[in-house]
Amino acid sequence: MVNKGKKVVKVPEAGQWPDKVTLPALIAGTVLTTAGFLMAFFYAAPVNGAALDAPELVGDVMVTHQQLLSQKIFYFHMPVAIVSFVALVFAAYYAIRFLTTREQRFDTCSRIAMEISLLFVVFTMITGDLWTRFEWGVWWTWEPRLTTYLILMLIVIAYFVLRNAVDDPERRAVYSSVVSIIALVDVPICFMITRLIPSSIHPVVAREGGMSPDMAATVVVVMIGMMLVAFGLYRLRFRQARLQERMDALKEQLED
Amino acid sequence: MSAVEAKHLSKVFGTRKAVDDVSFELPEGSFLSIFGPNGAGKTTLLRVLSTLARPTSGEALVAGVDVREEPDEAREHIGFISHQSMLYPDLTAEENLLLYARLYGVEDPEARVTELLDAVGLAHRKLDLVRTFSRGMTQRVSIARALVHDPDVVFLDEPYSGLDPHAVEIFDELIESVRGDRTFVMVSHDLAKGFAMCTHALVLARGRIVAFAPKAELDYDEFAGLYRDTVGMGVA
Amino acid sequence: MARVSVTKPSTFQQYKTLLGKDLRQEFRTREMLTSMGIYAFLVIIVYGAALALTARNLDIMRMGGGLLWVLIVFTSLLGLARSFAHEKEQGCMEGILMVPLDRSVVFLAKTTANFLFMLVVEVIAVPLFYFFFMSAEQVAPSFVWIVVPLLVGTLGMAGIGTMLSTITMNTRAKDVMLAVLFIPFIYPLLYACVTATTTAIMGTEFWIDFFVMPLVLACGYDVVMLLVCWVLYDFVVSA
Repeated sequence: MVNKGKKVVKVPEAGQWPDKVTLPALIAGTVLTTAGFLMAFFYAAPVNGAALDAPELVGDVMVTHQQLLSQKIFYFHMPVAIVSFVALVFAAYYAIRFLTTREQRFDTCSRIAMEISLLFVVFTMITGDLWTRFEWGVWWTWEPRLTTYLILMLIVIAYFVLRNAVDDPERRAVYSSVVSIIALVDVPICFMITRLIPSSIHPVVAREGGMSPDMAATVVVVMIGMMLVAFGLYRLRFRQARLQERMDALKEQLED
Repeated sequence: MSAVEAKHLSKVFGTRKAVDDVSFELPEGSFLSIFGPNGAGKTTLLRVLSTLARPTSGEALVAGVDVREEPDEAREHIGFISHQSMLYPDLTAEENLLLYARLYGVEDPEARVTELLDAVGLAHRKLDLVRTFSRGMTQRVSIARALVHDPDVVFLDEPYSGLDPHAVEIFDELIESVRGDRTFVMVSHDLAKGFAMCTHALVLARGRIVAFAPKAELDYDEFAGLYRDTVGMGVA
Repeated sequence: MARVSVTKPSTFQQYKTLLGKDLRQEFRTREMLTSMGIYAFLVIIVYGAALALTARNLDIMRMGGGLLWVLIVFTSLLGLARSFAHEKEQGCMEGILMVPLDRSVVFLAKTTANFLFMLVVEVIAVPLFYFFFMSAEQVAPSFVWIVVPLLVGTLGMAGIGTMLSTITMNTRAKDVMLAVLFIPFIYPLLYACVTATTTAIMGTEFWIDFFVMPLVLACGYDVVMLLVCWVLYDFVVSA
């Protein structure tokens, strides 16, 4: 777009409407998550209404109060895990958008969704591991869900290692888009395979007979809270990245 | 019909404009030399014109075919000689050429390859591995490779790099002998050399055209002055 | 020079030409096969040292499948990392990309070549492994069935490996980068194949659960992944 020396350069835009709801979303998310935390301890009853003062019989298994308390982690573990997977779905969605349009904006979106995914995957691993420690008495076991999340974490980390190893920005964007799409396909397969192949070595996760309404309510509250937090973080990060790009563009323009 | 035509051609990623609104038209049978400082977007322009990279906007026609809309069609008319040989070192000269001839679907590949190896004066070495060839000989085989499907437009990307003066001479003679009615587009650092060969000259800086003219309208000293200014001060 | 007549060859012919090029090159230099073969042998030697104290009372039959796959994964990784070296070295990939051909042909030809090279190495490595670790044991009659998981696993690894090494040929620290991407992506396949291989070696009675089921899943992985790579290859190779 050259008009005899004077040119109009398209500058990456920043500050669209979602930025206005970012802060409220973050606050609401924090409030809901905190509320969920309190609910987990004061509202949701221990599994099958067990009391905490003595070991109880739950579904033919003796459980200690420690195990009953560690079960509270579940209220955070599951929503965090789901949010991390949702973030991965968004990353792959933006990756497809990028591959079809070749607009840098979508690559940025995809990258930031991956960052959010990484954050929540790490939280999932931490909460999951704490629970494993108390519930099964081991720090690590090759249980399907754990394995799948370990693999997912490795893939997300590999994604960022790859981004660092490619110099050309367009090539980097294409490669990382492709990797995030393959990741989205690979993760469910991984879950299915580790789940469907029976193994005598792996402890079987005890089915504790569904969720009671109070448990479900707590999970839903935390879930909505986490989603809002993830959305808020995503927008904040996106805004920052866009402003950076905008600044680079303006700098370049000044240099001309 | 023009051999190569670019209309507002741009290759942009994010804020980086490798090729920025480039328009020119090149008549058939001409020899275009593209000059410019490092990072001016010469190679990117060549890659866009030769279907290796997709333009962001604008249109490019090679031998009348749109490189974005019908890349496969355009590829049939395009030959490419680069500073890399594009030959497999562990195959013989003949096998390399046969490989490309078969991929392009040249009729009677053996005869075509023999003809080309004769033309570049390497018929006696056709059964030797490319690995054993000198840089100059490799570059001759790579001319043959680029011409295997008889392209209308041949792109040359810094073809002289790594060649000794004698090899450069042979290279120029060969290019002259195979020229026929083909169109050549060459990217080069070497101003004097590129200027001597060309019928048209183009100067690129920061992805934009600074000058484009047939050689007849240009005076070498004046042109060299313009080029120095461009390289020295960035875009005018 | 007279005008040359060009008729676009069929996709299958182009596939054969590209595959022929890879095979001819490899059988001339034997670069990949030798390095993979030697590497496989060295891993077996290392196993010998690693299991030195336990070999007598260790249930080698139960571990054999896993050890065999460790060998295959790392050997394949070595081969895959080299598979695009020649294409990159002299810019041949760009030469191929400027030929009017479908990009997925490049993927299929390369995958086939890698698959064949990996199979050749396995044909040498598996008997060696048997000779060193299992010849003293009573092997179940179902042992020959390990061929099936080997084929299915190698195919999937060749496909995803070809895709990933196309990506990593343009990155810094290629070899490490390939491993970092390759291992998590083939994990599900590896898991299924190890289970099936171990079952074949031990000849347990739960044939459906431990052999057929993993193989069905592994085949599913192969189909899905090869399709995804086939679709996405154009983007990767043109970038």
